Amino acid sequence: MIRVATLDPLDPADVAFLTKALYRAFGVGTEHAGARPMPHHAEGKDGRIDAVQLLADVERVRTFADDKVLYLTAAPLSLAPGPLGAPPCWGFALYGGERAVVSTSRFPARGVSEASVEAWRRRLGRESIHAVGHLWDLHHCYDAKCAMHPSWSPNLPPNPEMDLCSFCREKSERKVRLAKT
Amino acid sequence: MRGPPPRHPDDQREQLPPVEGVVADAADLSVGDRVVYPNQGVCVVAGIEEKDISGQKLVMVRMQSVEDGATVSVPWSKVPTVGLRRVATTAQIEGVFHYLAAVFDDPELDWKIRHRDNADRLIAGGVLGVAEVVKGLHSLSRIRPLPTKEREQYDNARHLLVQEVAESLRVAPGLAEDYVDYALMPPTGTRFDLKPPPTPVMLPSRPRKRRPAVVEEGEGLDDLGLGDLGIDLGADLDGALAAVGGEVPAATEGGEGAAAGEGEAAGAEEGAEAPVPAETKARPVAGKKAAAKPAGKKPAKAAPKAAARKPARPAGKKPAPKPARASKAAGKKPGKGKKR
Repeated sequence: MIRVATLDPLDPADVAFLTKALYRAFGVGTEHAGARPMPHHAEGKDGRIDAVQLLADVERVRTFADDKVLYLTAAPLSLAPGPLGAPPCWGFALYGGERAVVSTSRFPARGVSEASVEAWRRRLGRESIHAVGHLWDLHHCYDAKCAMHPSWSPNLPPNPEMDLCSFCREKSERKVRLAKT
Repeated sequence: MRGPPPRHPDDQREQLPPVEGVVADAADLSVGDRVVYPNQGVCVVAGIEEKDISGQKLVMVRMQSVEDGATVSVPWSKVPTVGLRRVATTAQIEGVFHYLAAVFDDPELDWKIRHRDNADRLIAGGVLGVAEVVKGLHSLSRIRPLPTKEREQYDNARHLLVQEVAESLRVAPGLAEDYVDYALMPPTGTRFDLKPPPTPVMLPSRPRKRRPAVVEEGEGLDDLGLGDLGIDLGADLDGALAAVGGEVPAATEGGEGAAAGEGEAAGAEEGAEAPVPAETKARPVAGKKAAAKPAGKKPAKAAPKAAARKPARPAGKKPAPKPARASKAAGKKPGKGKKR
């Protein structure tokens, strides 16, 4: 089961779209687990929230074995700098773990037209599939059409697809099948 | 107790510098050490214990995988040969990132060489070898999608690299993967201040395949041991060879041998006269047919047919296109084209 928890208010229609997208991608039941408060002490000096710290401090959602929890926030996230600097952060997941977070702060403007709202939702779906994919042991994929392609890649099209490539899909299906529950 | 002799005693063993951090002696290991088991990932030495295996008492080094807790036990004496190495240092990891971010030259396009080299790198190349596999296959994936086997190899190599980077830098694997891909696929406008990448690891060349010595036909038959079974092939074989020998030279005289000689002659004549080679080409075909058919049938009929068919082509068709091409070429000339 994938449980979606919101750290900031989100349109119920967006959540409904997201749950459908996650169900279609992984074949696992998805539900909205309600709202949770944002752990503000994870906020850095630049106003961004450390994604790793956020996942450590956020209020837990009750889960059973192999449940995955996806937190959604509108606040900008950051990652600790690595040997070549800090990568841009669209979200973060505990690889093979239980919790992931996705930020909508880097998405294109939601707008009011149907087309722009649809594009925004598709981007939300894509990033959520990406984060939950990491929870199911998926690595980044070189295929720019796959949802597991890095979100900052220059090869990524402006309106990326929210589907997994055949390799990532098969791998995730295998992992889901082998899950304890 | 001595081990088996080397497989290729005459081949000189290459003396290459060992990969940095390789565990050369099990005595260097102590409980709690973090090591990398080739192709398996990062493990922690959980204990050194004595086990009774089929009557033998063996000292085993027990290691536990960091990722899933799986346990692997290696005999004390085998530790130097399995390729265990220490987890990469921060300096090594920095070198790996500078290598990943550097512009890559053309990837190896021969899949056999590539697959074999990549397998060797994953086992014996150290952390830089794993990074080389990831970088090489990633750059190849920009040219064309990877085949299934290499896609799996790429995924495995990426998994090993991410695990080791995470263990070395003491960060979450998800974050380590972001670091790796930030170096591999930097966002538009990002420029790194790169240092020269470390020298690639030299891998020992594989032993060359040995061709079995060519055995003479007679010797080969002797080796079969048919004599022991009471089968004497000598007389039968001689008779059969004599029978075949009577026909074969005749066939080669009239057919292939003559064909070769006439073919050469035809080649010499081609330059002089155009229709002649067709006739000469037709002859060997007729000769072959004649040799293949039994003596009762008339071989002479086949020859004129072939000869009649073949010369017709070059004589009737070949000269025709030439003037046409010439006229087309002439027609393309700007002056004449405009006039028409």
